[in-house]
Amino acid sequence: MGLVFRETETAPCTVTVSHRFEELSAHVRFDNGAVVYPGDTVQVQGPEIMAPYGELVEEKRLATITRASRLERMWTRATGDFEFMELCEFSFSEEVMS
Amino acid sequence: MNAHSRDNEALHSSTAATAEEAIARQEALPPLTNEEATNVAMQNTLLTPRFYTTDFDEMDAIDVTPVRAEWDVLIAQMKADPNKGHFKKNEDWDTVDWDGMEPKLKAEFIDFLISSCTAEFSGCVLYKEMKRRGSNEDITTLFQLMARDEARHAGFINDALREAGIAVNLGFLTQAKKYTYFRPKFIYYATYLSEKIGYARYITIYRHLEQHPEMRFHPIFKWFKEWCNDEFSHGEAFALLLKTDPKLTTSFANKLWIKFFLTAVFSTMWVRDHQRPAFHEALGVDPKWYAQEVFRKTSDISCQVFPMMLDIDHPRWVKNLNRMEAANVAIAKGRKAGGVGGWLTRMGGSARAALAFASLLTIPAISSEVPDNPRMEPVY
Repeated sequence: MGLVFRETETAPCTVTVSHRFEELSAHVRFDNGAVVYPGDTVQVQGPEIMAPYGELVEEKRLATITRASRLERMWTRATGDFEFMELCEFSFSEEVMS
Repeated sequence: MNAHSRDNEALHSSTAATAEEAIARQEALPPLTNEEATNVAMQNTLLTPRFYTTDFDEMDAIDVTPVRAEWDVLIAQMKADPNKGHFKKNEDWDTVDWDGMEPKLKAEFIDFLISSCTAEFSGCVLYKEMKRRGSNEDITTLFQLMARDEARHAGFINDALREAGIAVNLGFLTQAKKYTYFRPKFIYYATYLSEKIGYARYITIYRHLEQHPEMRFHPIFKWFKEWCNDEFSHGEAFALLLKTDPKLTTSFANKLWIKFFLTAVFSTMWVRDHQRPAFHEALGVDPKWYAQEVFRKTSDISCQVFPMMLDIDHPRWVKNLNRMEAANVAIAKGRKAGGVGGWLTRMGGSARAALAFASLLTIPAISSEVPDNPRMEPVY
């Protein structure tokens, strides 16, 4: 891991999207045991995974993990906590502010 | 035919007993023609939850032995899932006149539903991640149960949004997303507070609408009581977690953090609720009264673990909340205006907001005795 440079890797993953009345959720699981650290960026490759209403979709995909540099990781560790407000129902959503 | 009249069909998927049945019913509906699809004109709202990572080893090392008796009771209660059948539409779900709703109210109400849905969804993503990465069975069981509730709530709100012609887009997974970091203790403080204040918010509206049913402009409010009982029990679990390590609520530094979290959450709620004037007016609720009422309930509850409560009757309290709100309006104006002038307005607003926040933070807190057994029941 570089101090300022990022490295990229690819990991197979399973994406589960539930778009059902009883459950609205979406999760990514890495099939090779890859672990995500603070500041890393994950992008699932390929087209958008759209579950029609009422369905649960599970797909095998590849994900690109962009590893944060050592500096970024430290920065995220130090500042990430302040994003906690997201968990409150009355947090700010970008959509509405515009 | 539009979105909500389709939803009023007798065999709506939400009345189905199983997922398979729900899907079957959904599929049995006549397909939308192009013309209908255009009429429905679903607005697309991309959910943008955050993704978190934490120190999973530290979280795994939690030992609930000191609170074992209360813990087992709570987990058994959550496993029994008393609200399983609650999040279904029944005959109480009366027709919503979305087209007749005053546009400003409609916009604010939809904003309310979307931010509620995002919060539930983010909670679900966080809890599921904890469940997956952990190996301590007590902890993973708890997070699994909470993820279940949050996904259920999100699904219920999503359905209400669909009636309004808003489709939630879950396509965010294929966009690059950055993982942020939460220290475990901050997860406890923040989620504990967000669950308890969520309870206080929902129950206050619910009780108000019991007194004034004519103000209930959407049926979803009828579901708030059982809904907020889920929030309450999630908060109870975090209260027990906080009890496993006395340092979390007694050390000097941690007390400062608790005060910071309380002040940040309360003041954000104040500012944010004031951005929904039409919503509160339609409910017949004065946002200032509502906020203080919610703060009072949250303070009374959070004494179960926090050794202090904020002095919300202090002369500087409401004054600086109002300052923060005014500063926030200025920031929004500056952002809209753009350019150098807009930037200056924004910076000025930010400085005033920071000052007001500092003033709130320095109001002396009221210390309180923490009981040995933190467990509480929802009584409001």
